[in-house]
Amino acid sequence: MTYWKNYHLPTSIQEAVNLLTQYNGQARIVGGGTDLILEMQQGRQLPVEALIDPTQIPELNQITKEEGYLVIGAGVTHTQIVADKKIVRYGTCLVESCGVIGGPQVRNVATLAGNVAHALPAGDGTISLLALDGEVQIASDDGLRWTPLGGTFLGPGKSAIDPTRALITRLRFKPTGPNEGPSGEGSAFRRVMRPQGVALPIIGMAVRLKVENDAFVFARITIGPAGPTPFLAEKTMAYLTGKPANKQTFSEAAEVALAEVNLRSSRHRATAEYRIEMIRTQLPKTLAQAVARAKTGKVVPEGVGM
Amino acid sequence: MADSDKVIGKSIKRIDAFGKVTGQTLYPGDRNQENELWLKILFARRPHARVLDIDTSEAKALPGVMDVLTAEDVPINQYGLQIPDQPVLCGPRSNKKGGDIVRFVGDQVAVVIAENEEIAAKARDLIKVEYGDLPVVSDPEFALSGRAPELHPNVFNNVAEYKQIRKGDPDATWDTCNVIIEGVYQTPLQEHAYLQPEAGTAYVDDEGRITVHCAGQWTWEDQQQIAHALDLPPEKIRVIYDAIGGAFGGREDISVQIALALAVLRTYQRYGNRRPMKIIWTREESMIGHCKRHPMIIYCKWGAKSDGTLLAAETKIISDAGAYMYTSNKVLANAAITCTGPYEIPNVTIDAYVIYTNNVPNGAFRGFGSPQSHFAAEMQMNKLAEKLGKDPVDLRLKNILDGDKLLAVGTTIPGGVSLDTVIRKVAWKSNWTYPGKRGENNPDYPEDLPRFVKGRAFAAGFKNIGFSLGFQENSWAQVELLGKVEIEEAVLRIAGADVGQGHHTVMAQIAAEALDVDLDKITLKVSDTAFTQSSGSASASRLTMLAGNAVKEAAEFALRKWRREDRPAIAEATWLAPKTTPLDPKTGYGVPNFAYGYVAQMAEVTVDTEMGFITVDRVVCADDVGKAINPDQIVGQIEGAIAQAHGYTILEDFRVEKGQVLTPYFNTYLIPGVYDIPKRVESIIIEDPHPDGPYGARGMAEMPYLPYSAVIASAVFDAIGIWYDDFPLTPERVLRGLGKVRSRW
Ligand SMILES: Cc1cc2nc3c(=O)[nH]c(=O)nc-3n(C[C@H](O)[C@H](O)[C@H](O)COP(=O)(O)OP(=O)(O)OC[C@H]3O[C@@H](n4cnc5c(N)ncnc54)[C@H](O)[C@@H]3O)c2cc1C
Repeated sequence: MTYWKNYHLPTSIQEAVNLLTQYNGQARIVGGGTDLILEMQQGRQLPVEALIDPTQIPELNQITKEEGYLVIGAGVTHTQIVADKKIVRYGTCLVESCGVIGGPQVRNVATLAGNVAHALPAGDGTISLLALDGEVQIASDDGLRWTPLGGTFLGPGKSAIDPTRALITRLRFKPTGPNEGPSGEGSAFRRVMRPQGVALPIIGMAVRLKVENDAFVFARITIGPAGPTPFLAEKTMAYLTGKPANKQTFSEAAEVALAEVNLRSSRHRATAEYRIEMIRTQLPKTLAQAVARAKTGKVVPEGVGM
Repeated sequence: MADSDKVIGKSIKRIDAFGKVTGQTLYPGDRNQENELWLKILFARRPHARVLDIDTSEAKALPGVMDVLTAEDVPINQYGLQIPDQPVLCGPRSNKKGGDIVRFVGDQVAVVIAENEEIAAKARDLIKVEYGDLPVVSDPEFALSGRAPELHPNVFNNVAEYKQIRKGDPDATWDTCNVIIEGVYQTPLQEHAYLQPEAGTAYVDDEGRITVHCAGQWTWEDQQQIAHALDLPPEKIRVIYDAIGGAFGGREDISVQIALALAVLRTYQRYGNRRPMKIIWTREESMIGHCKRHPMIIYCKWGAKSDGTLLAAETKIISDAGAYMYTSNKVLANAAITCTGPYEIPNVTIDAYVIYTNNVPNGAFRGFGSPQSHFAAEMQMNKLAEKLGKDPVDLRLKNILDGDKLLAVGTTIPGGVSLDTVIRKVAWKSNWTYPGKRGENNPDYPEDLPRFVKGRAFAAGFKNIGFSLGFQENSWAQVELLGKVEIEEAVLRIAGADVGQGHHTVMAQIAAEALDVDLDKITLKVSDTAFTQSSGSASASRLTMLAGNAVKEAAEFALRKWRREDRPAIAEATWLAPKTTPLDPKTGYGVPNFAYGYVAQMAEVTVDTEMGFITVDRVVCADDVGKAINPDQIVGQIEGAIAQAHGYTILEDFRVEKGQVLTPYFNTYLIPGVYDIPKRVESIIIEDPHPDGPYGARGMAEMPYLPYSAVIASAVFDAIGIWYDDFPLTPERVLRGLGKVRSRW
């Protein structure tokens, strides 16, 4: 089968945008191809005239610190993210989620941009970037613009960013602390599935939070799959603000979260009831983990690299 | 010569290793031929329907399409390994009655022949088929109930096969039993998940034979079945095996072979076509297109004395055949013969049924019915040990079969019985001690389980080697010695399929040993019906023993001729195994097999009681191989069998709903990866020579599979005090047992 006729490796953002314009909707952006090519093979995406691969654009192939943000280029792979000391320290949940995607072969080519653009309710990197309150830079005919990540999800597998007209160029988030030592901020990610990540997860969750004097200043919590798009647990977040950061609160938070999520039974992953049990037992642990990191400034990512 | 062990008994590097590791070896899908045509098959994708009409006009009109074949193009529209009960193509104007009925989603309706794969796929999608749907029978117990429609003509209550075994009188014995253990065990389907999906190429060779390159388990049998469907003499069909990327039983039955040969035949007749054909199934086609491991429901009632002596067993087996026979009758017999475990039980009744449904057919899969029966038997045994507060190892040693004791079929086991050795070796190597009763009977048992709990358990098993039940087992080999003064080259012709297990290496070792030459003098010419006869199937752990004997004999004959100055010295041998008998239809009495293999296992697990995950920390496994021709390959088989059984026990959840497969990809049908399998496997090779084996070798590759599900489920019981009588032990099922999750799918 031929799924595309031409494969382009532009060397600048402008060139990528020009190509998209030239093909006028008949070309599509590809990152590592680990989602897209499979979907084409399975007939869930139509063949295209051309694939445009922005991962070789030098400026999109790096992780930088700019204007108080950590910025991740669209060409950056999960492997690169996991190896980056800044993200380990200041965006720990992202490392914990990118570090369990697929296996090494997948992580060596798959990008966070592709994970985000795919807009699955349980995309691991996506869940964490959303908890980190991430933003997306989009390049199109209209130029470059930043937009909050949360606004790009329209439905399962549906992103507001049309990969035949525009591309994600960068992703960014505010680091959980500017300095060495405890910053009061921390993050954590946890996923329930078999050890080896070549399957759809049963449930994943990420938190970013800040504590002061043993109380929550804020917490951002994401859960997936728990609805058509990556789920931001806003009621739970509101509930936590100002609460003491202790075991009892963590357990209560799980109950609040359970009241606001929409869990479904899937015939070959898990029943809703199993997912409920996992949120009940694992969300408190995820919160406790992030709180410990926030208080001590000590960060050792968990479960990465299988 | 034979005693010196120059070449055998050594872990010689696989002769196929270099080509496979460097990617030079061609698997069926790798063979690119000049000017080839591609086939695509239209699968019915509905579980039960009558094909009322097929309109291929649009498909045929698509540029690049040479032809579209349907039922009316098949000379004899039926095939099957045991009985020819499956249409080659389902559709009207079939020359066999019932050939217009689709009985499962993977039944084939049309074959498209086109310039390339893309056009073939497009044309396939242009075929218009009108179906009349028929009621779908998906539950074997319902199929048997008398209320279900009959799926095959004259098959009453859809019973594809029934086996009855009677020994002694259990009903008169129950009263004398001090304990009775009852259980209903349910075992799941399993997909073979070989790396290489079905593929093949075909053409007419220089001698006018329709030649099919493919991957199978028995060239001769493929040739017979193709010849039958094409109504041609077998000599007009040539079957050649390329490298085979795993089989495990799933390639015993026909997949692409007949379609390829039919395409060659019809396009030659119609258009004088001489271009070669090619087909590669997608993973999804493979998932719905070939057979699976039989799911079974096994009802057990066992009685014993308080000292643990087994007295009686009553067993009913209900196995799902799926849509066609495949090897269901033989699998059922095996399950029946081994469902009392490797123990002597004086009073036994066994009623075993295999039932037609509209599910994907079930067939051969490593262990051939014995993993299912051993799950029931070994769980029964461990429950008995628990109930009596006895060491499960002692309990086993007390009851195991030996050379004098009687199987449920009323006869003794030929060829030596090493159950005592394998059990004692595993107990010793694993520092087995009996910790006393666990679980609900134990007053000290913790109510509030900690997050991670460890458990350990023991199980054993046995199974026949080779085909049986009256079939005269045989295997053919030929040796040709070239040279003048010294043997310069020994050409070994065999037809046994190297499905990845290393068969060819072992045969080369045996030939070299018998001829007393270096291994590099041996040239292998394999698996081509143009010059090989039948070495039998690569199944039933049979090739090392049976083909090994043939190779050894042929080599010895050839050497005698060589010494008589024959140049070249050519000899062939067909080794015949000791005779077996079918089972008496009323009592099951008989000598069904001529050889058995034996195994014991200890496993240690950690259960995560919060999330339901099970980690297997350690497995100790002893397997009696008679003689280890190539010890590394044996360890590979033990570890491989355990990894595969681990998937069966913990992960693999093949879901079928109303005959439709819900898990046709590896992202929903999860097979174990390196992080899933047991952390440590200690393989113990026992060499208790088989009197009829070459250098004493007996088959071994299925044995380590047999006790695994039971040993893991019993270790889980040891950890958390819950008996799981069904599996896979997915996290969800584990938590359901713990009462943390209640719903089902
Ligand atoms: C074996 C295997 C295991 C996997 N395991 C996991 C897992 O555990 N967790 C998980 O979350 N995912 C998993 N995945 C899915 C996938 O690997 C990830 O989602 C990955 O991050 C996708 O990135 P990619 O670069 O390969 O995307 P691609 O496949 O290249 O693209 C995905 C989609 O995004 C679009 N796209 C890509 N880049 C851009 C861009 N810069 N701008 C706009 N649109 C873009 C494409 O057009 C396409 O629609 C797995 C996949 C495989 C094959």
